[in-house]
Amino acid sequence: MTNAVTNVVAELIPHFEGYVYPNEATQQPLWSILIVLYPYITGLVAGAFIMASLVRVFNVKALEPVYRLSMLTAFAFLLCAPLPLLFHLGHPERCFEVMMTPHLTSPMAIFGFVYAWYLMAVLLLELWFDYRRDFVEWSEVTPGFRGTLYRLFTVGVTDVSDPALKLDFKIGHILSVVGIPSAFLLHGYVGFIFGSVKANPWWGNALMPIIFIMSAMVSGIALCVFNYMVLSWVRRKALDMKCLDVMCMFLFYALVVDAAIEGLDWIHRIYSAEEGFQVIQYMAREKLFYTLSLGQVTLGTLVPLLLLGSLQLLRRRVPDLIRRRMYFASGALILLGVLAMRWNVVIGGQTFSKSLRGVMTYKMEFAGLEGWYMGAALLLLPFIILTVFVKIFLSEKLPSTAPLEPHPAHAR
Amino acid sequence: MKSWLSRRNLLSRLSIAAAGLLAASAARSAKAAVQKVFASSGAPRGYDPAMHKWRMAIDANRCIGCGLCAEACKKENHVPEGQYFRTWIERYIIAKPKPGSGEARGETLVDSPSGGMHGFPESIVPNAEIQHSFFVPKLCNLCEHSPCVQVCPVGATFDAPDGTVLIDPKYCIGCGFCIQACPYGCRFLSPVTKTAEKCTLCYHRITRGLKPACVEVCPTQARVFGDLMNPVADDPLQQFYQNNLVQALKPHLGTKPRVFYAGIDKEVR
Amino acid sequence: MSRLFRMPPQVFRIFLLALGIVVVYSIARYFLTPDSFGEYGWYRGEALAELAKREPVYAGKAACAECHSDEYQALVKHEHKTLSCESCHGTGQAHADNPDVKMEMLNYGHCVRCHQASPSRPKWLKQIASKAHYAGSKCTECHVPHSPTEVP
Repeated sequence: MTNAVTNVVAELIPHFEGYVYPNEATQQPLWSILIVLYPYITGLVAGAFIMASLVRVFNVKALEPVYRLSMLTAFAFLLCAPLPLLFHLGHPERCFEVMMTPHLTSPMAIFGFVYAWYLMAVLLLELWFDYRRDFVEWSEVTPGFRGTLYRLFTVGVTDVSDPALKLDFKIGHILSVVGIPSAFLLHGYVGFIFGSVKANPWWGNALMPIIFIMSAMVSGIALCVFNYMVLSWVRRKALDMKCLDVMCMFLFYALVVDAAIEGLDWIHRIYSAEEGFQVIQYMAREKLFYTLSLGQVTLGTLVPLLLLGSLQLLRRRVPDLIRRRMYFASGALILLGVLAMRWNVVIGGQTFSKSLRGVMTYKMEFAGLEGWYMGAALLLLPFIILTVFVKIFLSEKLPSTAPLEPHPAHAR
Repeated sequence: MKSWLSRRNLLSRLSIAAAGLLAASAARSAKAAVQKVFASSGAPRGYDPAMHKWRMAIDANRCIGCGLCAEACKKENHVPEGQYFRTWIERYIIAKPKPGSGEARGETLVDSPSGGMHGFPESIVPNAEIQHSFFVPKLCNLCEHSPCVQVCPVGATFDAPDGTVLIDPKYCIGCGFCIQACPYGCRFLSPVTKTAEKCTLCYHRITRGLKPACVEVCPTQARVFGDLMNPVADDPLQQFYQNNLVQALKPHLGTKPRVFYAGIDKEVR
Repeated sequence: MSRLFRMPPQVFRIFLLALGIVVVYSIARYFLTPDSFGEYGWYRGEALAELAKREPVYAGKAACAECHSDEYQALVKHEHKTLSCESCHGTGQAHADNPDVKMEMLNYGHCVRCHQASPSRPKWLKQIASKAHYAGSKCTECHVPHSPTEVP
């Protein structure tokens, strides 16, 4: 019903202005809300992982309380990252071809391998080495199904002697170091899927992968802030304010760099004013006003910059409660802002004709495979998976070892 | 110590098995390469893709905008109904500059109602205000550096040995990347097959010695078609190259289109 | 060499798993790669033959000339020699396969489709403002389409 109503409304709006190639006039946009979510979710993965590696590689001790949460966040979102892409295919049943006969000049084919590498060689392994000792201990103290589950996760390795744990720690460290470039590669490649399309003046841009990586870091850290605050609230546990302060400090600096690079991109576009600039300008002003000027720039960047920036200066003078609320607001706003940014890139890049002579209107339905409901479901799914993970791997009922040090007794 | 040893045995056995599998896979594809493709029944016999280089060229001076080509293409290739076209015709109307504006030209208007397949309605610019107006047939530009082939993740679209750029409808996953990558808007995602589609130069016709449908029905020879490797007497394609200064569409993108245009304006993109 | 395999248990398990993945991938690749893939390039070689297999809808001028040689001979002597039979008469393969299948009926629209005056049409083309040119609807009252310069 809602479907029919929205479609009637959409018919009233002129479909396009100016001239668009006939093939562009139907089925717009080809890449819909699902492809908006795909870089968004992948970006959250990369960002959350970078956040976790701050602890591991850069030894930021204050962030230890969120280390495991960030890793699990990255994992939960990574599992969902290819889903929108998969659902969007005309022939999802043929998706295996991407792995069987990958065309090596295609960014999308390489993404399949980068994804597999990142999932299996980096995230899963690092998580396993982090948790190995816990699995062994938990499998001993937990009865029933859960115990069996933990035993299964040990993959039959029960050696938790000092040298074994030391080795785990060392391998985990190496994996984390490898993981940083891998996370960059993962999301850089997503950016490159768009950046490689030279036919589209809005996408075909050497800065695209870098913009994607930076916004991924921003959104990932913001997601960790969000998750940490929500989890503490659900569990009614006190927040570690020092951890939160440091997290938001990194969030602020990442946001500064991100905003600077995106600003640079725009300055370059405006200054060089190449062939397609006029239509891009028109599109940005008219078609993307709400998502670009309001969503991405004002709410997603300027307001959080102001909130977080002022807290960098006045942290000591602002009471904890207000600071927490400001952090939460900035985190949530940044998450929305980066989603708007993905929307602007993906949908914006398809609202003008490649003849550079016209713009199109995006009609989006509620129901249907590419509608709002599907989008909302796909965005909720990683949170549901994360909840399950938190219940299994961050359970309060189980003793947890300090995640990063080999056992204190064994530390040199 | 013994357990390590048995593990080692297991490992070496596993690696041998893996190596064997990889080798077998290579041998199998080598064998397949020997098989001749056009031996299968139903396909035109005796056609060797390596012995042809098909080309189309467009002489826009001769296009009268009748739309027969776009219509024939739809019928010949069973192109889905609606705004889906493997070839279409654009009408360019360049207005005279407003008096006293100090401009060389007025606005450029482009349209292509139903891809031009039912002809064109009267222009909304009055005849007296038109500086130039002309038609441009569009089709796949058969690029030498096809961005569509480059981005296809599975190898479902490809540059065939005979100079055509084709799509394998049984292998296409319908991701739409090629459609995004094509600068000329020549591809679309078929609502029927859920795969990408585009001009194939009527591959089923040219392999039988027929002309592409659009070339067949074009009343004015605005579309020129031929085989660079087997020129015929008074080859229209060779004559076209001989008699015209040509240009390609969007040359700055480096796609190197193999479809050349004669007689088009700078406004054509 | 033996030192290489003397791994700690957790590393060994991971190594086994990695090997398992590689083996599974190789097996899957062996079975799921189409036979003719890579014959000419990074695609299914068979696709060429499959695409060529489809039946034409337009028969081509030569097929028409086989039976209708008189009309064909008349046509090639006159202005309309560049036209294909199927430009006006419509798709012909079905008719060529089975003469009982009738061709499309022609009407006035076929002539003005090309000859209606338009500022976009090149100057060399004979163009008429059809309403002013003749009030009726039958071009053939005055013109012979196969030999347009003759007047009956």
